[in-house]
Parts: sequence; structure tokens; C-alpha cells
Amino acid sequence: MAKRTPKTDLEKVVVNPSRLPPEDRRTFERLQRLAQKVVSAAEAGRDPVLDVPARTLSNVQYNAKRGIIEMGSATNRRQLFNLNQARSFMQTLLVASGAARLIAQGKTTSLRGMYYLLKHTIEGTREETFDDQEESDSAIEDLEVLLNALREELHLYAKNAGAMVGEIVLVDSGDVIDCSRMGSGGYSIPSIVEPEVIQFRRCNAKFILHVEKDTVWRRFNEDKFWKKHHCILTHGGGQPPRGVRRLLYRMHHELKLPVYCLLDNDPWGYYIYSVIKQGSINLAYESQRMAIPAARFLGLRAKDYEECGLSPSVRIALNETDRRRAKQIAKYPWFANKKEWQREIKQLLDNGFKLEVEALISKDISYVTEEYTPKRLRDRDWLD
Amino acid sequence: MMATKGIEISDNKNPTKWASPSNGDEKKPTSDGKLRATAQVLAAKQREISVSEFFAKNRHLLGFDNPRKALLTTVKEAVDNALDACEEAGILPEVWVQIQATGENRFRVDVQDNGPGIVKKQIPLIFGKLLYGSKFHRLRMSRGQQGIGISAAGMYGLLTTGKPVKIVSKIARDKPAHYYEIQIDTKRNVPEILNGRGEGEDIPPNEAGRQYMEKQGIAWIDVDHGTRVTIELEGRYQRGRGSVEEYLELTALANPHVTIHYQDPEGHERTFLRLTDQLPPEPKEIKPHPYGVELGVLVAMLRETEATTLARFLKESFSRVSDGIAQRICEAAKLGSRANPRRLSQQEAEALYQAIQQTKIPPPATDCVWPIGEQLLLRALHQMVPAEFYAAATRPPAVYRGNPFIVEVALAYGGTPPIQRISREAFEDLLAETDARTLRQFLAATFDGMGASAADKILQEAQLPRRIMPGNLDQEQRSRLYEAIRNVDLFEGQTMTVLRYANRVPLLFQAGACAITQTVMQTNWRLYGLEQARGALPTGPVTLMVHIASVWVPFTSESKEAIAAYPEIQKELRLAFQAVGRKLGMYLRRRQRAQHEGQRRNLFLRYLGEVATAVSMITPVDRDQLYEKLVSVAKRKTAQADLEFDEHGRPITPDQQTAEDYGGGVLVVEPMAFGEQSEALPPPEALQNQPAAESVSYS
Repeated sequence: MAKRTPKTDLEKVVVNPSRLPPEDRRTFERLQRLAQKVVSAAEAGRDPVLDVPARTLSNVQYNAKRGIIEMGSATNRRQLFNLNQARSFMQTLLVASGAARLIAQGKTTSLRGMYYLLKHTIEGTREETFDDQEESDSAIEDLEVLLNALREELHLYAKNAGAMVGEIVLVDSGDVIDCSRMGSGGYSIPSIVEPEVIQFRRCNAKFILHVEKDTVWRRFNEDKFWKKHHCILTHGGGQPPRGVRRLLYRMHHELKLPVYCLLDNDPWGYYIYSVIKQGSINLAYESQRMAIPAARFLGLRAKDYEECGLSPSVRIALNETDRRRAKQIAKYPWFANKKEWQREIKQLLDNGFKLEVEALISKDISYVTEEYTPKRLRDRDWLD
Repeated sequence: MMATKGIEISDNKNPTKWASPSNGDEKKPTSDGKLRATAQVLAAKQREISVSEFFAKNRHLLGFDNPRKALLTTVKEAVDNALDACEEAGILPEVWVQIQATGENRFRVDVQDNGPGIVKKQIPLIFGKLLYGSKFHRLRMSRGQQGIGISAAGMYGLLTTGKPVKIVSKIARDKPAHYYEIQIDTKRNVPEILNGRGEGEDIPPNEAGRQYMEKQGIAWIDVDHGTRVTIELEGRYQRGRGSVEEYLELTALANPHVTIHYQDPEGHERTFLRLTDQLPPEPKEIKPHPYGVELGVLVAMLRETEATTLARFLKESFSRVSDGIAQRICEAAKLGSRANPRRLSQQEAEALYQAIQQTKIPPPATDCVWPIGEQLLLRALHQMVPAEFYAAATRPPAVYRGNPFIVEVALAYGGTPPIQRISREAFEDLLAETDARTLRQFLAATFDGMGASAADKILQEAQLPRRIMPGNLDQEQRSRLYEAIRNVDLFEGQTMTVLRYANRVPLLFQAGACAITQTVMQTNWRLYGLEQARGALPTGPVTLMVHIASVWVPFTSESKEAIAAYPEIQKELRLAFQAVGRKLGMYLRRRQRAQHEGQRRNLFLRYLGEVATAVSMITPVDRDQLYEKLVSVAKRKTAQADLEFDEHGRPITPDQQTAEDYGGGVLVVEPMAFGEQSEALPPPEALQNQPAAESVSYS
């Protein structure tokens, strides 16, 4: 096969790892060990294989003691000389070379950026290295579990989603950010929030209130809830991205702040809580760096329709997917032996409808910030 | 309105009585009250029609429907006769065919053979009298059957140009050559000799004779014995499908023991050399089989027989009738075996006919029909159609209506379609000659195996409108068309080319009406890996050659263009198609497996480069060295994978994968051995220039 046309600095990625910053050195050495496995296999005349830890539900265990989801030891062997695996083998190594390049140059890029960085036509064919971003994203996740490295350590970030306000001052890439002076938009939580990037300077907050989405978060910010109750207010735009989860984790552990979640009363809301608390199935390998087993579920609760006397028009009927999902969640090991959670989910199913946090607005625009949340906190009325 | 031949008929003078219940005694036959003719008057016009006259008016029955076909039919009849004559005499045939233009739409056709020659007194009858010949009154496998062909061609020439048929025939080296100029008297169906005061000319076999011929302009290729016939006729010369050249090419294909020299009107010469020196075995002449006789024929035979008893009649007139069988027929018909056959009544003849059908009679002897043979078919087809896979099947003899026949089939798969092998020059000629009104029509009508969709694909590739006149293309458009023809993938949408033969004669017209084509369409080729729409010809790069040999081939008309669909014939055809189909299926499955393996290896090779590059970017290692190592691992890996297993779980070695496990009758041409493909992918252009190392294996 003809040599590929060298992309100027691409060929010169190989650097001396000792010259890299310590957190990058660790990752880079792991990348090199991975590449070396291919080299030694080729030299021994064996076919190169990668043992990728399985990222499936069957390979996920709930560690009751630690309260988080952990990845099992099952691996999938990926062979270069296997018709069905050759392509993804190649893609995994491509992603590895891309990460090595980013680390060597001290730059970061998005998932999409990585996709474009590595996407090209394979020499002598009409085949593309990656057909769509899904393929490169999947290869990146494989690489993460292979190296036991976080995405951020590979110098990759997701798009910013999620905002924060509250009584905390932090340093982001050298800039001092006072989160109590962020106006109506708040501080946009970046995807990489590792200590090298973000350091906490000062914190007067007593707890963190995490809400599901932007609209609710705005309500709380407008009503200056965080000022009144001395807290930090965050949202994750639905399922919180890794940056938000990691920042919550760091604030919870480093600043000893309890985390309360205010989410919709539907299976999706339960699941978001589950991910924040125990970690996600797909990214189980990161749970220990993100999961917050002590996070609490403040609301909404299935009982709230009656307890708050909401009007029937705010009810949204459960559909089949919702019911199936709710039953599934009820069986998660971390919910299975919690009576209160079982009651909660049963009541949701009995109700036959779901409630959004915004439903509380039907009572009064500021009902949720002035009555509902303070009362629940006061009464310590939450699910754990 | 009235009156022929000046006979006026008035109703007063000539009252014809009609029985008419409503209208008394007078009847007005026409509106103006006049009778048209009497029986007597009509009788005056009723007279015998000569066969020649009949065919002169119905020339399409003999294959002279249009000028283009007339030229071809003339060549065909002359060549058929030449080959029949040579084979009957046991001479390896060599035939010279020459077509010269003598004027606008006028051609002179010369066909000479190295056959036994014809004795002097027979020449005028053979060439100048319709239905005269050796072949009609016997049952024997031969190309000609009725004795119409060549004299009809001569008659057609005479009708269109007024020129007589010229014949030179010589029976031995030291015997004189007989030279005749003959025209047929169509009214009386007798030959008229024009030269030598009605006696023809004898040309001595010496130098003087040769000089005489030269002086008189009598063309003759100097052979010891042989016949040359020259016919001038109105015709149209055209290449492509249904052309003289195609006919000769196809004739050579089915007659591998024949050498044909051909010179076209433009002086281009082409020779089809024989592939074998082995003459086909001489077919035996047989008596009709009882099952094949119709009642009317039976009655006529009974009337004409010289046998004195019915049993003897049956035994002598028919094949396969022993004393015992004759006895049983007579018993079944409730007739005495000693009855006088000439005295049987109509009812008794019918009873006899029924009895024949009910009596078990062994099938006719089949040594009277000879196939071309699988090996020769394979070789001939390989010679003519470049392909990757060939299979042939010859069926055992079978019988329809008491006539023995043999079906044999050869199939070629793959290779380049004929249109893509055309030279630029030939392409330009075809384009200039065509009378097609649109380009699409031109493409579809000129080339075999070109369906409408393939034509459309070519035009689309060339970015030419479909309806443009072929003659109106400018130089640049012609180039574009030529390039498109060569580059478009025609396998897709290409329909199977069916070459039909009857007694080694190619059938070029009326494909749709022919039992062969119909049976091809009724056969399910999808079972064998070809694509096929219901009730249509299968598609793909396939050529199917079908030969029916019989003592009497049942044509649908005298022009001998299509074979009638007898169930027995269709059954044999089907079985033969299935036999070659199965072999094709095996081949295609194997090829698919091979392709799969190749793809597999290519797949690995393709990714190895990427992997090597990626690894060398992460860790200090030489990319190319790593690549080489990975490639060698890949080769070893896939070499193991190549070891496929057959249906019984035994490993198949490459040697075994050849002909014998197809059950014989196949020929596999592998353009490249398997291993070669695994060398690092050569760029596509290198592949094209590489001469394909052909490895051929016969079985």
C-alpha cells in the first residue's frame, strides 16, 4: 500500500512522555502501552487483539456498599483479523492516535472535532475511516474504558450544557468567577472541570439545589432563591452532561455540600436522579468519579398532585413507554430494596399521569421557590 | 363492378333458380340484380398452381421477406447444402463465401465447397427445380430437409435481378468441371439452361480449362472436387445481429469440423478455422417410427405399399416393428395379419392407427442422430465467447412423434459482453450503416444481449438524447458514445444471449416463436444464481447455446426459423437447461465464496495501513516495517480461512475445486489465480494493464 501523504505535524506526535504535565503523562503512557501491544503482537506473528471492557448492562454491578454502579470484569475481545471487528479495531487505534496528538500538542477538542480530525478516505478505497460521528464517539468510549481514562484526560470535551449560580467563587483557567454575579444567564459549566482547570476559591453556600432544566432554573435565579437560602443552583439541561456531574461531585466532596435534586415526576426524572446518585450504565467506569450516592430526591413526588392541590389540567397521561420504563427503574438494584421508592413508583403508576416541575406554576408563579422547595427542605421531606 | 373476361350476365337471359320460401321463383343475387359468375366461368379460371409460382408470391415463407434477410437466407441455403454434401461424402468441409456489391442494393453471392461435386445431369434439377432433392424422402439428420432452399434462392435472384444462377461443379481432379447458367421456369417448376445451347458447358480439367474460366469470368477456387454456386440478388448488406457474418460465426461454432472463409462486400476477409479434424459420425437413415405417423400418411402408405400382407407392410414400412409387434397391432385392430394392406377400408385404417398408438413399440433407434458433443461444444464456445465459466450437457436421445432427437446445451458465463469488444472502426461502420431511427433503437437492434435498459444506461453515460438519429452524431458525440459503450457496466440488465441451432444450423429469426426460447423463459434460472423476471429471459452475462439434432426437426414454417413446441422436446430442453444450470449454480456459489474470501483479505489489508499509521504515531516504531509484519500475519490468517469445507465437512483443496466435482462437462477459465489478489492492492490502472494470466481447465 502506498504511503499516506504525511500531515505535517501528524507524523511527529511521538513525544517524550516525561516532558508532559503529570496528569497527561499517565494517559500518554497508557496510550503507548496500547500501541505497543499491537507492535509486539505483529512482531511475534500473532494477530493483535484488544480486550475492551464490556459496556453493557450485563457487565454492570451495583456496589451496595459504595452506593454506585461499577463496571464488571467482562471484556469483549476485539480482533484485527476478524471480519466484523477489523473496522472498529482500526477506529479505536485511530482515536488513540488522535488523543495522543491532542495530548502532545496540549490542545483539546470536542467529540465532533475528533471525528473530523480522524475522518479521511482509506488509501486505495472509497471507504471512510468513520461514516458518522456515532462511530467515532463509540470508539472514544471504547478507548476510555480500555485505558481507564476519562474523556477529559484524553483532551476531549462535550459541548457546554448546564449553568450554575450561587454563593461560590471559583477560578476557571485562571479567570476568577464569582457565581453570585452572573446575571440572569449564570455561569456556563464547561465540560472539563478537572482541578487543573477549575479551582474553588471561596464558598458560602450550605447546599446545592440541582434542577432538571433551564426554565425551572431561571425561575429560581430570578427569585434569587440562592441568595435567600445560601445555596448553589445548577441545572443540567435534562440528563446532566459529564461536566455538570463531575462539578457536582467535586463540590459535594471537596466543599462537603449536600445535593438536592428537583426533577419532574416521571420515569425520566427518576432516571436522572439515578444517574446523578449512582452513575450511568453506559459510563459505569466513571461512576467512582461522578456518582454522588448521598444525593437526595426532593421532588416532584407522585403525592404532590393531591398534597399541593394541583388542578387536573396539569396532568400528563403516562404512555406505554413511561409505564415500562417506570417498572424497569423500580427493579434497579439501588431502588429495589427501598420501600419509599417502591411506594413512589407504584403511586406514579397508580396515578396514571406524570407531573412536570412547571406544573407548580399553576398554583402561583413563585410557588415552587417560595413555598414548595423551602417547605420540603424544612420538613426534610425527600427521598434518598 | 362486374365482369371478368368479357362475360356479361343479364338476369333475364340467365335466370338461376334458388329455392326461396318467401320470395317465389326469382332471386336477385346482388343489389343491381346481376349474377357475378357461373360455376363454368369460375372453372375456366381454376387451374393448377405450380409450387414455384406459389413460393414466388409467398417468398416470406422461405425466408425472403426483406432484402436484408434475403441476402442472409441465400448464403445460408448455399452453405447448408455445401456442408451436407461434404459430410455425406465424408469430406472435411471447407467453404468459401464471398459477397460482392454489384450495384445499389445488388449483391453477388458466391459459395464454394470442397464437396463431392454433382453429376452433370442432376445440376439443373437441384438448382432449378423446387422440391427436388435427396432429403425430403428420407428420415436422416441433415441440415436441409425439403429441397426448397437453394432453388428458391436462385428464383429470388432471378425475380429481383433477372440474373440466372451460375453453377460450377467438379467431381474429380481429372474430370471436367460442369458450368451451368440456370433459371427456373416458375410456371412449370422446371429448370431452363441458358448456356451451351441448353446443354451447359464442360470445362476441361487442364490449363486450357483454367484459362477459359479466367477469360469467361467464371470464378472457381481450384479444388479437386467441389461445387460453386453464384447468385445475384437484390439485398441489403448489414452487420450486427442477423448478419451474414454472425450466421457464419455461429455456424462455425456449432460445426467445429468446418473451415469457413468469408469475404464481405468491403473486401474484409475472415476465416473460421476448424477446431477438429474429426468428422461427425455419419448419421443413419431410418424408416419412420409407427408413433410418428399421422392417419392421413398411414392411409397413403397403405395405398402405395407393395407388401402383400398387413403384417409385412407394418414390418417393412416402419422401424422397430418385429413380427411379434406386427401381430399384436393387427390383433388390437381386429384385423387379419394376412389382410391385403391396399384393400383396407377407411374404418379399418383408423382402427389400425388406433391400434398402433395402443401397442407398446420400442423407441426408434437413436444412432441416427449425433450430437456435437460436450467437449467440442465447450471448446467451440470458449473460442467464440470469452467467458469465465463454461458448462455443457448432452441429453440422451429421446423421441417425439416417433422421431428421435437429441438436445444439447452449452453455457458460457461472465466475460466481456460482445459490444464491449468492438473496435472503434467497426463501431463507426455500424453507426454509418444502420437504418435505425434512434440511437436507442440502434444499440438494441445491433448488439446481442443488449436490453433497452442497457441501451438507456449507455446513452445516459454518454449524455446523449435517446431519440437522436444515429447518422446525426458529430465526431465528439460519437467518441462519447463509444467511450460509454466500453465503460458502462452492462452485466446489470444484460439479458441472456440464446443461440439456437437445429441440426447444426443457427436459427437467427423468430426467437420468440421458438420452443427453445420459450423453454428458456419457463425454466427457473433463479435457482442457479441468475436473476430472472417471471416468464422472461434471465439476466446476466450468460450465453446459452442450444442444439436440437433430429432426423426431422419440427419447424414452425418452411423458412426454418423456429422450432415447434412439442412437449417431449420441451421436456428434454428443460432437463438440459437444468443440467447446465446446476453446474453454473455450483460455480457461482464457489465464486461467491472466493470473492468473499478475497474481500475478507482486502478488508484486512485495507485497515492494516491505517492501523500501522496510527500505532506509529503513538509509539516510536517504523510504520512501514510494522505494516509489512501485519500484512504477513494477515496472509497467514486468511490462508487458513481459505481452507473452506465442502458439504461433507472435508477441506476443499484448490485442485479438487476443478472440473470433476461439477460432474464433468465444464471448463473454468480463471483470469487470475487466487493468491495473486492478496499482494498489496495494486492501483486500479495497473490491474487493467496487467495481462490476465489465463489458466484453463477442461474436464
